[in-house]
Amino acid sequence: MLLKKKKSFLQEFYLIEIIKGLMITMKNMLFSPKVTIQFPEERRNYSDRYRGMHYIKATNGVENCTACMLCPTVCPAECIHIEAGERPDKEKYPVKFEIDLLRCCFCGMCEEACPKDAIKLSNIYEMSTTHREVYDKQFLLEQRGNK
Amino acid sequence: MPKCIIDGREAEFTPGQNLIEVAKNAGIDIPLFCYHPGLSVVAQCRMCAVEVEKMPKLQTACSTMATEGMVVKTKSPKTAENQKSVMEFLLANHPLDCPICDKSGECDLQDNSYKYGSAYSRYTEERRTYLDLDMGPVIKKNMNRCIHCTRCIRFGSEVAGIHEMVALKRGNNTEITTIDGKPLETDYAGNYADICPTGSLTIKDFRFKKRVWFLTKVPTVCEGCSKGCNMEVHQDNNQIYRCIPRENMEINRHWLCDEGRFNFHYVEREDRLLDPARSKSGGLEVCDWGTSIDLAKATLDGKQIAFLIGSDLTQEEGAAILQFRSQHYPGAPVYHFGTPGVVSSADDAPEDRILKRKSKTSNLHGLEKLGIPGFTKLPKEITALLVIRGGRATLPLEIDGVEKVGLGVFMKDQAMMFSVILPGLSFAEKDGTILNYEGREQKLKRALQPLGQSKPVSEILMMWVNRKKAHGAA
Repeated sequence: MLLKKKKSFLQEFYLIEIIKGLMITMKNMLFSPKVTIQFPEERRNYSDRYRGMHYIKATNGVENCTACMLCPTVCPAECIHIEAGERPDKEKYPVKFEIDLLRCCFCGMCEEACPKDAIKLSNIYEMSTTHREVYDKQFLLEQRGNK
Repeated sequence: MPKCIIDGREAEFTPGQNLIEVAKNAGIDIPLFCYHPGLSVVAQCRMCAVEVEKMPKLQTACSTMATEGMVVKTKSPKTAENQKSVMEFLLANHPLDCPICDKSGECDLQDNSYKYGSAYSRYTEERRTYLDLDMGPVIKKNMNRCIHCTRCIRFGSEVAGIHEMVALKRGNNTEITTIDGKPLETDYAGNYADICPTGSLTIKDFRFKKRVWFLTKVPTVCEGCSKGCNMEVHQDNNQIYRCIPRENMEINRHWLCDEGRFNFHYVEREDRLLDPARSKSGGLEVCDWGTSIDLAKATLDGKQIAFLIGSDLTQEEGAAILQFRSQHYPGAPVYHFGTPGVVSSADDAPEDRILKRKSKTSNLHGLEKLGIPGFTKLPKEITALLVIRGGRATLPLEIDGVEKVGLGVFMKDQAMMFSVILPGLSFAEKDGTILNYEGREQKLKRALQPLGQSKPVSEILMMWVNRKKAHGAA
C-alpha cells in the first residue's frame, strides 16, 4: 500500500522552490558566457582534423591521385566513382573522379586508405545546397589547390 | 600409396610428385614464384626452399620428389628465414608501384611479400630501370617489375611452341625481352599475363579498366571453338571485363587462346541489337515484343519455311527449337550453321597443336547429336527462313533472296538482311549445356543478366506459341 507522506506547509507552498529555480536561470542568463554566435559574421574554430569538404591534393600542378581505387574500395557509403586512364606524363591518372556528396558519411576512411596522400578532407563545413551535389575532379582539385 | 610427413601431417603421394604438389594436396601452401604446374621445373626463384630432414641444406620443393618417409618442414625457422631473405632480394629492385599496377590484388609477389616478407626495406641504392618495349597488341610489358622467374620464356618454348621471349644480360641487369624486340607472334599471348607472378606482363585490353578485387568470377566454358576450354568470366555491374582460363587438366590444362579470351567483346558491343525490330526501307524500326512476334509470324506463315540454327546454341535451345518445329511447323527442315567450310563434325579438326579447333562454334557436335544436319545449300522450294543463333556462328552467304526472321544476337549491319529481329542471348547471359568435340558435356553458366530487352530462345518461342493460339481462337 502506498502511504502518502505528509508534507509540511513550506514544502507544499512551492514558492521558495520556484524562486530557487529562477535564481539558477537568472544566474546562467546574466553571468555565464554566451554559447550562440552570430554565424556568418562570427565563425567557430574547428580542429585541423575536422572532416569536412573533400579535395584532391596536387603537387606542382599535377594531382597526386593515381587512380589506385583504394578509396572506392574502402568507402562504406560507395560514394566515390573513379575511371582510370593513361597520359604521357603520368602512367595512371583519374580521368573521372566523382564524389557523390549525398551518400558521403564523412568517415574519412578514404583519406586513411590513400597511399598517395591525394584525397583529403578539409575543415570547410559549409556544404549545404538545395540540389544533389556531385563533386567532380575539376572541383576537387580547385577546392584547396596546392595547399 | 607411399606417405611422407609435411609439417607433422601425413601426406599421401604418387611417386614422381614433387613436394609442392604433395603439400598442396595436404592443404599446405608453399610460397613459390618460378614453379608452374604446366611448365618445366627450373628451381631458380628459391622461394619454395623447405627443410628436409637428413639433408644438410634447404631443398627447393619444386625440384625435390617426395619419397617414402620423408620428413619436410615448411614453417621451420630456417625455412622462414630463407623466405624472408628471398623476398628482400626480390623486392630490392621491385618498384612497389602497386597502386598503378593492374596485377595488384592477384599478384603472387604482393601476397608472398605480405605473408613471408618484411614490411620495411633496407635497400637505399638506386633501383634498376628499363625502357618499355612494345610487345604487340595483347601484352603490355613493364620490365621494372620483373623478378626473372622465366615462366614466360618457358611458356613460349614449351606450350605455345614458339621461343620468342629470351633473357638478355646477367645478374642484376637481366632483361626479359623478345628476340630482337619484335612484337609477340603467338596466338596464346594472353597466357603470358596470366602466368606472370608480378605485373611485368599485363593485358592491354584490361589495362586500368577495373581493379581485380571488384570482379565477380563466374566459371563457364569458352564458346570460341569446339574444344570447350574452361574459363572464368569476370564481371562487375553487369559488364564483362575479362575472361581468364580455368584449370581443367583434361581439356585446356591452364591455357586459353586469345581468340577465346577476347571473344566476349561482342556481348557488349554498341551496335548489338537489344530491342525487337523490323527492317524498313533504309533502316531498322524498333517495335515491342508483341508486334514483332506477330510480324515474324506473318512473314513465315503460309510459306515453305526452313530453320537455320547456329551451332553456338546450347543443347537445351536446340531441343526446344526441334520441339517447336515438330509442333508448329511440322516437316520444315532444320540445318545448323557455324563456320564457313565446316559442315559437319567430320570437318572439325585441330587447327594448331595446342587448343584451337576448326569449328569456330562451341556446340557443333551437340547439335549433330540431336540429329540436325549441316547447312550446305537451300532447297529450291523454301521461301522463308527462321534463323536462330547466339553471337558466334557466322551467317551463311547462300541465304539471299528469301524472307528471313532472325532470332538471337545480331549486330546492326547483319540485322539489315532480316525482315524481323527478335533479340536473344549470348553465351554469357544464359545457362545451358554444350558438347565439345569429344562429346564431353559442359555447362555454360550465366554471368550477366540479359542486356536490354533480349530474352532466352525458350521464352521467345513460348511467346510465339501463345500468340499463335490466341490468334487461332479469334
